[in-house]
Amino acid sequence: MDSIEIGLFVTGGLLVMVLIGVRVAFAAAIAGLVGLVWIFWAKKGYDASAFFWALSVAVKTAGQVPHSKVASQALSLIPAFILIGYLAYYAGLTKALFEAAKRWVGWLPGGLGVSTVFATAGFAAVSGASVATSAVFARIAIPEMLAIGYDKKFAAGVVACAGTLASLIPPSAILVIYAIIVEQDVGSLLLAGFLPGAFSAVIYAMLVIGLAVTFKKLGPPVTGFTWKERFASLPGASPIFMVVAIIILFIYNPFGGDAWGTPTEGGAIGAFLIFLIALARGMRWPQFKDSLLETAKLSVMIFTIIWGVLIYVRFLGFADLPGTFADWISSLHQSPMLTLVLILLAYAVLGMFMDAIGMLLLTLPVVFPAIIALNGGEGVSAADSAFGMDSVSCAIWFGIIVVKMAELCLITPPIGLNCFVVAGVRPDISVQEVFRGAFPFFIADALTIAGLIAFPAITLYLPGLLLGN
Amino acid sequence: TEWNVSLWGKRRAFTENVEKIAELVKEKTNGEFTLNLSYGGLAKNKENLDGISIGAFEMAQFCAGYHADKNPSLTVLELPFLGVGSLEQEIQVSQTLYAHPAVVADLARWNATLLMPTPMPQYNIVGSGDAPKKLADFAGMTVRATGGIGEAMEALGAVPTSMTASEVRQAMDSGVIKAASFAPHAHMAFGTVENATWWTTNLNPGTVNCPVVVNTDALNALSDSEREALLGSVDEALAFYVQNYNEKTMVKWYPLLEEKGIEQITYDPAAIADLKEKVAGPAAKAWIEENAARGLPAQELYDLVVSTVAGS
Amino acid sequence: MAGHASILSDDSLISRIDRTFFKLETFLALIGGLAVFSLMLLAVASVGGRNFFNQPLPGYVDWIEQFMPLIAFVGVAYCQRLGGHIRMDIVVSRLKGRGLWAAEFVSTMLMLIIMILLVWGSWAHFERSFDFNAPLWSRDSSLDIRLPLWPAKLLAPFAFSILCVRLTLHAWGYGRAFLRGDAEPVAVPLVEDAATQAAHEAEAVSGFEEEISAAGTDKSNG
Ligand code: NA
Ligand code: NA
Repeated sequence: MDSIEIGLFVTGGLLVMVLIGVRVAFAAAIAGLVGLVWIFWAKKGYDASAFFWALSVAVKTAGQVPHSKVASQALSLIPAFILIGYLAYYAGLTKALFEAAKRWVGWLPGGLGVSTVFATAGFAAVSGASVATSAVFARIAIPEMLAIGYDKKFAAGVVACAGTLASLIPPSAILVIYAIIVEQDVGSLLLAGFLPGAFSAVIYAMLVIGLAVTFKKLGPPVTGFTWKERFASLPGASPIFMVVAIIILFIYNPFGGDAWGTPTEGGAIGAFLIFLIALARGMRWPQFKDSLLETAKLSVMIFTIIWGVLIYVRFLGFADLPGTFADWISSLHQSPMLTLVLILLAYAVLGMFMDAIGMLLLTLPVVFPAIIALNGGEGVSAADSAFGMDSVSCAIWFGIIVVKMAELCLITPPIGLNCFVVAGVRPDISVQEVFRGAFPFFIADALTIAGLIAFPAITLYLPGLLLGN
Repeated sequence: TEWNVSLWGKRRAFTENVEKIAELVKEKTNGEFTLNLSYGGLAKNKENLDGISIGAFEMAQFCAGYHADKNPSLTVLELPFLGVGSLEQEIQVSQTLYAHPAVVADLARWNATLLMPTPMPQYNIVGSGDAPKKLADFAGMTVRATGGIGEAMEALGAVPTSMTASEVRQAMDSGVIKAASFAPHAHMAFGTVENATWWTTNLNPGTVNCPVVVNTDALNALSDSEREALLGSVDEALAFYVQNYNEKTMVKWYPLLEEKGIEQITYDPAAIADLKEKVAGPAAKAWIEENAARGLPAQELYDLVVSTVAGS
Repeated sequence: MAGHASILSDDSLISRIDRTFFKLETFLALIGGLAVFSLMLLAVASVGGRNFFNQPLPGYVDWIEQFMPLIAFVGVAYCQRLGGHIRMDIVVSRLKGRGLWAAEFVSTMLMLIIMILLVWGSWAHFERSFDFNAPLWSRDSSLDIRLPLWPAKLLAPFAFSILCVRLTLHAWGYGRAFLRGDAEPVAVPLVEDAATQAAHEAEAVSGFEEEISAAGTDKSNG
């Protein structure tokens, strides 16, 4: 049996393990280790006396992965981004943002829905995790919407979907993970998420307005705020703008001078500021300890998936599966754009059943080289490429699209975590109702993705400034 | 026989010695003995020696400076201002050192046998902002520089700042560092030239040493003809590497500097000699002391390197 | 994808061991959390030093790389105790009683086997970086300021051993539940349906919000 066949068998075994409920990180590590033993043993012709040798080499090869992959400066962004989100709750930023958004855009048709979308987009700038964002806004926004007669499916759907913005707008744990797997600059990817996140928020807002205009009983506007009241709402929400400004200044200085540091440092400084604000607003050791434990737990969960999957990826390297898949994809006799769309559709199907981070970690090691090959290979010039961009731009562009796809899986049945969470916060709204409320946003997301594919500039403009071209 | 070879990054001037030897070995054995090159799939670059020691793959490339404690004997070649002037000379000095019993024993701890060097030209510095016309202008400048080169920069009053190679471009564009030291091919590969305004032509503070090693057991398990095909191809592979580096990389380098309008700064040889005086002696002394304490014949290794440089 | 679970307790031996061991796991997880916080302070020191004193923190990256294993590994058993490592429970959530405990027992044993092997593998990785006869016992050091790497590498087999103990407890718990045919066994994370799970996540968040409102800190509500 050649190494490609071993690769396919082991990958099949991994999928079976994941499906029957073995925890993803460990299923991947098991698959990787079994695969390594198989490859090394095959090399010795399955000689019985060589089995222990093969096992020992495989175990030692796998045993390097956890430390060597995790001890990385770029990955240190993930726990920082998680901590920032927890501290933001204690700083009382969520409520302040929603209040400000309500006073500024509440007068639009579906005003509170639009406010929810923009407040969530603002909170996304300090939160790296979608699910937590939806949970918070389900508490804050849904009661106000129901109080003025919003349709409850609609209200719940808005909150579930707007939460997904947290992974596109930096800081974003999932964008960092993407950057690490595909070995691209973390700063460029974070910067690239800004405009698509804003674009996606605008599409959501337009959809809310459109629905509110079409179906009058979905959600009335809230009017009557004076300009004075509007400006009075800004100071409470201002820490968000401060943190956003700092993170931008640490990645890219729009005034033409030097940036202040690396994105890693920007994330940490942002977290430190929020920490100070939370202290000032009454956070003490018990709450701080809770947020440290929650941060530790979530970080460990993510890192365990990372090293588990990377053991599997190490095996893929020995089996040379990614190279073979890339060769196969680029040999297909169809337009590269069609292939890309088919790959994205496969993600949509997979996303119905899988968790976003696990899905990206499992698929990207094989899919990403194929996308780069599809575009014309490493170092291809924009003019000679299939998608009209060089390979670095292609990596960033595909990253934003695939993260948006991964976010889609949070609102699609049967397993859509954001919808579950909203239904969990509101016992009076069933999961089915949230899924139905979220359905129109599925169309908005399809439009967003089509927009991102058709206009790569939305994604590539900001990183282009950073890269100086 | 089929060997796996662990490299990193992508195919570039730096990996052409390995690419060439793979081609030669296959040719000489009529395809009986093949080397499968993997760029990053088999191990992280800092773990290549570990992988060789485990036996996960049979051949690998690494740089001594990535992990000085793993290969202390090789780091003598990364001392500042050794005065190596060409790739040919770098090969000769490396190969002489690689043959020394203390170095052979140092690598034997990893079950590794040194096959050939990957010679690199002297590092020089690419930077943005005001050009340091005199060496004194380096004072207070943040420079990405490691090892012996970092020591040389520190002696000039510069602030060596640490980051991984892949972060260098962004750090430089964003002003976290003003300058970075690399060999020309790496300045091009990592994009430090894109927004640079100056380059030092003759600072020549040193370079890093990046050997290619093989797993000793695997080498011994080869048939005589296979081993002959491998070992007998080293000289030709290195000759190809040097030719490729000089004719392909350096040929692109100067026109690129012209095209980007990058100012080339050449220092007064007397000033460089003065700097060398200040840095080289103390750094060598510190290296000898530290490695003698490890039980290496440090003075002997250093003298061997110095006399080979002088004699070649 | 399950991220939460409830764990029942009583005064049986296994439940008492579970709760005692959980104290150690919580302590380790808190160290991980404090390491995250320290990284933040380290970045503040680095940025401040560079911008205000023209004195960057030497070996900043090297220190981060030393901290990361603390964050990534030491809480791994804490996370497992709480059922926090994600999985797909479409199939598992349909099982009940003995069938469920058998399935959980098998998947726990698979995890235990891989973790025992990884204790071996990560110990070997540590051992290659450790040398009693070398200065600082170091046979592998960081790039810039030459910190010895063996302490960080040792954290992997250490944390994985703790996880092995936890997995043994879980295997015991599921095995016991299978033999006794328990409906709701103690000391193991129980699969929750999606709604219960989400209610828990929501509870965690609403706790925060209530504290904030109770503290009357939200001045913008006018
Ligand atoms: Na975010
Ligand atoms: Na889904």
